[in-house]
Amino acid sequence: MGNIITVENLIKRYDTYKRGSGFKDSVKSLFHREKVPVMAVNNISFSVKEGDIIGILGPNGAGKSTTIKMLTGTLYPTDGKIEVMGYNPTKDRKTYVHQIGAVFGQKSQLIWDIPPIDGFRMNKAIYGVSDQDYEERIKVMSKLFNVEEYITRPTRVLSLGERMKCEFIMAMLHQPKVVFLDEPTIGLDVIAKQKIREFILEMNKRGTTFILTTHDLEDVEQLARNVVIINHGEKVFDDSIHSLRKVLGAKKIVELTLHSPIDQLDMEGVSILERKNELSITVSVDLDIIAINDFISRLSALCDFTDISIKEMPMETIITHIYQSKKEK
Amino acid sequence: MKIKRYILIYRECVKVAFAAASTYRLNFILNCIIMLIGDILFPLITILIYGSGAGFEGWTVYEVLLIQSVFTMSMAIADMTFHGILWATMGHVRQGDLEMVLILPVDTMFLLMARTFSIDAVGLFIGGLTIFIVALSHIALPTGFMWLQFIVLFLIGLSVMMGIALLMAATSFKWVGNSRIPEIFDSIRSFGKYPQSIFPKAVLMITTLVIPVAMIGYFPATALLGQGDIKMMLILIPCIVFLILGITLYRHMVRLYQGVGG
Repeated sequence: MGNIITVENLIKRYDTYKRGSGFKDSVKSLFHREKVPVMAVNNISFSVKEGDIIGILGPNGAGKSTTIKMLTGTLYPTDGKIEVMGYNPTKDRKTYVHQIGAVFGQKSQLIWDIPPIDGFRMNKAIYGVSDQDYEERIKVMSKLFNVEEYITRPTRVLSLGERMKCEFIMAMLHQPKVVFLDEPTIGLDVIAKQKIREFILEMNKRGTTFILTTHDLEDVEQLARNVVIINHGEKVFDDSIHSLRKVLGAKKIVELTLHSPIDQLDMEGVSILERKNELSITVSVDLDIIAINDFISRLSALCDFTDISIKEMPMETIITHIYQSKKEK
Repeated sequence: MKIKRYILIYRECVKVAFAAASTYRLNFILNCIIMLIGDILFPLITILIYGSGAGFEGWTVYEVLLIQSVFTMSMAIADMTFHGILWATMGHVRQGDLEMVLILPVDTMFLLMARTFSIDAVGLFIGGLTIFIVALSHIALPTGFMWLQFIVLFLIGLSVMMGIALLMAATSFKWVGNSRIPEIFDSIRSFGKYPQSIFPKAVLMITTLVIPVAMIGYFPATALLGQGDIKMMLILIPCIVFLILGITLYRHMVRLYQGVGG
């Protein structure tokens, strides 16, 4: 399949003001504020194939959201070229946004005091969806998300997970070809996250291309086929999820609370990363060497622990790994 | 086709406004009452002034009430249909979530006005209309031509308020949190609810040519009183300029938001 999105040498630079902190700086800022230029996105290029799910990963403040805003046409780039389905998002905004959908994890399209279904009707009118298509799509998506009983309740009484599911329905009511998701699973519990991921995969099977920004590696692992990693506004990785796995190795971070102190964990593929105190340690487990269930059963034999938490590798560690692998090359 | 779609969108927005207002019934009723009391107080004060033997020279109490009722109805329509864009824009810019409007395939200005349709001002409109009918029943019956003049001038008065609301909303893109600006305008707008002949010439110049607030209440009412003349049409120019300026600046600032937001 051909490219549905092409981004070339994208740059976003803007000025912000330094106000300082405390009373003295606040008074000073009334008369003079120092202008601070911010290079939010610095010369990023990538492309997305039709029907793909691409994950844009990066730590907070990396430039992910700025990139996605420029792709949705809600922010003008300082320089560079964006082409989505043949459109330039900054020109003829109304025609372009009719073809896309967007869900911003920390912003809502729903109307607080009224049920989501009323909000859906508003978007039906905005996008000019026919009555028949509307009924059909609401039925299908409500069933996929299992929200039939929630959509008639006022938005304010819904949980974050339920609201996020409704945000997806709202964004996909007009069946966009391309959907942009900015941190769609932020703040959600495991079950809600999983439901949303399943929905994205189902919609992708039906032909929708997804571009999602996240700092949750699990989102990317479960959804994306290709990954772009951004750090300080610059692209540091752009390849398939398999290539990323090769660079990182299949590692998990395990936080342990021990019953009694131990000196070391004598297991191949396991190394202690941090000791917070005598009873609290963080270890790295290489899944290519030891499976997670083997690790837990051997750990149980080696020591007594009161709590265990298995986590993805932190974003900062991933970026360090990528920089290291680039140096080695 | 495009107009039909926009009418459908507006209809949905009005339905949503009704649904939202009905959620907090007591708040809705209180809002209606407070708006009614707040803005109907002026005509009552007029009655008290005239009742004590004082008054505006050359104007009967019902003529003044007619001006004030036209002003009140105009305010109510503005509050209902487009005034919400001011606070909505301020809020979106301050919270940095105008993207949620920009990702929708409709005119941003139209959508913000439609979404902020306020049913609360219905009470105010009914109050204004009641005084209007009472005042009308005490003056000479206007001719068809006078009614036509009144409708045109009333609509132009609304366009002045829309222009000013858009200008104020546009400033909030650059001057985030400028909540005092509307208060300043509210004070200037108050000049529109009195017979303009009571003001000095300098004030008259401001209220007719610089910020034509006289068009909100005074000029449409004088048309019904048979005092309209061809010179009045000259004042249409600054009114239309205000509207065009407001729309142009607002659109420009939306583009600027797209350019500088981070």
